[in-house]
Amino acid sequence: MSEATVSTQTLVAEERARSAELARRADSRRRLVQNAGVLIPFLLVLVIGLVAVPHFASASNVTNMLVNAGILAIVGFGMTVVIAIRGIDLSVGSATALTACITAATVNAAGPLAGSLLGVVVGAALGLVNGVLVSFLRVPGFIATLSTLTVFRGLVLLFTGGAPIMIASSSFKSMATATMLGVPVPFIAAVGIGAGAVFALERMRFGKHVVAVGGSPESAVDSGISVTRIRLLAYLISGASAGIAGVLLASQLGAVNASISRGLELQVIAIVVLGGTSMAGGRPRVVGTFIAALLLSMINSGLNLLNVPSFYQYVALGALLVFALTIDGAQRAAVRRMLEGRRS
Amino acid sequence: MTVSNTTQAPPQQSGEAQKRSGASAVLRRLASQQYLLVVLLLLAVAVGAARPAFWGTGNVSNILFQASFVGLAACGMTLLIAGGLLDLSVGGVIAVSAIAVATVLPSTTIGVAVLLAVLIGAVLGLLNGLLVTYLRIAPFIATLGTLYLFLGVAFIWTSGGVVPITSSNYRAATTGSLGWLPVPFLVFLCLAALTHLLLRHTYFGRTLRAFGSNERAATLAGLPVARAKVTAFVFTGACFALAGVFMAGRLSSAEGNMAMGFEMSVIAAVVVGGTALRGGRGTLLGTVIGALLFAVLTNALNLLGVASYWQYVLTGAVLAAAVAVGARRASTAEVRGAG
Repeated sequence: MSEATVSTQTLVAEERARSAELARRADSRRRLVQNAGVLIPFLLVLVIGLVAVPHFASASNVTNMLVNAGILAIVGFGMTVVIAIRGIDLSVGSATALTACITAATVNAAGPLAGSLLGVVVGAALGLVNGVLVSFLRVPGFIATLSTLTVFRGLVLLFTGGAPIMIASSSFKSMATATMLGVPVPFIAAVGIGAGAVFALERMRFGKHVVAVGGSPESAVDSGISVTRIRLLAYLISGASAGIAGVLLASQLGAVNASISRGLELQVIAIVVLGGTSMAGGRPRVVGTFIAALLLSMINSGLNLLNVPSFYQYVALGALLVFALTIDGAQRAAVRRMLEGRRS
Repeated sequence: MTVSNTTQAPPQQSGEAQKRSGASAVLRRLASQQYLLVVLLLLAVAVGAARPAFWGTGNVSNILFQASFVGLAACGMTLLIAGGLLDLSVGGVIAVSAIAVATVLPSTTIGVAVLLAVLIGAVLGLLNGLLVTYLRIAPFIATLGTLYLFLGVAFIWTSGGVVPITSSNYRAATTGSLGWLPVPFLVFLCLAALTHLLLRHTYFGRTLRAFGSNERAATLAGLPVARAKVTAFVFTGACFALAGVFMAGRLSSAEGNMAMGFEMSVIAAVVVGGTALRGGRGTLLGTVIGALLFAVLTNALNLLGVASYWQYVLTGAVLAAAVAVGARRASTAEVRGAG
């Protein structure tokens, strides 16, 4: 009797050790695939750019790329959190445009500081609208944000009346192009916000809750996490980061109109997924998002320098997105195979 | 409770109680559709009272025109959404197929051109279907990617320009009317009827609804899920192309951004019509009414002199509201089922 218990216990222990080993191997394999997924294209594009594209490494082009990457990455950090809770925010492009236009008008009326602050607040408010739709009204994330994409774009058109807004303040306009130690300010802002996001996701309770909600909303509810609150916060963060990006974009462009950052959502989703954040939720990868933002910005500026018509950038982006999603799918399939013990 | 809500009342019910619940389900469904019909009629009467020009024959046929572009695309979309899928590449497929028509029209007959467009739509749909089914990419992300791919192809093809359609026969064929009914609207009604039959009276439709409500169960039951998914995408691509054919006729030209943002209107028409976003349930009558509702709404806003920018705001708000109401209704049904 006792012998049987002992042998059962050893069997259980062995089984546990075996599955732990499998999980560890699956994890390392997954890490390999996801790091390779962003690092290989990054290095490839970097080398091709340096070798084949004229003026790729010139100071003005590098500054330009860093500014673009910074703005893209800031929106990407918000999107990383939203995708990590199994959500999606398709409205970031329209939200960025709306905040950029409101910021521009406010800068002209009340000065750069008021404009910048109001831009971020408006962005957060737009994110809050998405959050309320998703968490309290239970509208699926992509439909809620697809409708707010249209609504926000309509609001931008109403706000501007279809006409561009010129920004008069030169101190505001120099914000995005100013450099500290040779590094443009938007890029420094992106690094700072990224560090904050890493800290919040890795070291704070909020991050653990995000991973829990993304991994399994049902178990998160059962373990006493307020899923509604986390969802609301995630969309709020995404809106606020779109707001910050809108302010920086207004500063970079100097003149904004209602059609800016159309299709931005696709670029942002592409960099987030390419960076290794899984569409299945529960795995935010802020650093990956950051590297992928640099990658996309390099691709765009490389194509521009090579005088490729801008239509081809659509195709490049679509192909990049499909590639990233295929990697994501392959990664999940690899994990599943490892956990199931190589059958099928 | 949830079961009788998500799957359409099966025809082989035998028990008296089941028959009654089936009949009441049918009644409830009819009531919820008539509710939409009532909204549509009220809106039409109200606008007609405020602006008598609303009922002019020119305006009515204009509304039917507008409704049929959205509606043709919405027929395919209903099928997809009933299967728990989605296709956001509407704008891209319409642009590519319309440009194809405009390009080949000078050298071939109208029939060949239309056939080619539908074929191209089907091929693009096939691409979407393969991405979703075999690469296992979430439908809305995969088709968001292909939307930009197709738009890129369209822009490259035309070098960003407009391809004019000079054939007056083509314009006459696609914008003409039989009596007071425009041709596209008649085609839309036929396509809706066809899609209804496909969804409700074929093995393919049953498979679609089965994996729409529970994909795992459908796979375990041995249904050809993968094949049905791809077929649904192909059919939908053909529907989009058909919408593009008539749109090109209406505009007398084709260009890359002729249907930018169209996916929104199409999904809105389907979802407001009563097709559940979570899949398993689709109604073509609802889709027809939904398409008409948005056409009347847009037309009313134009007649009342509201800035066209408000239409963006209103379409988005109506869609979010419709889904929110649907989610609320579904969750109360679940609660009642559990109790």
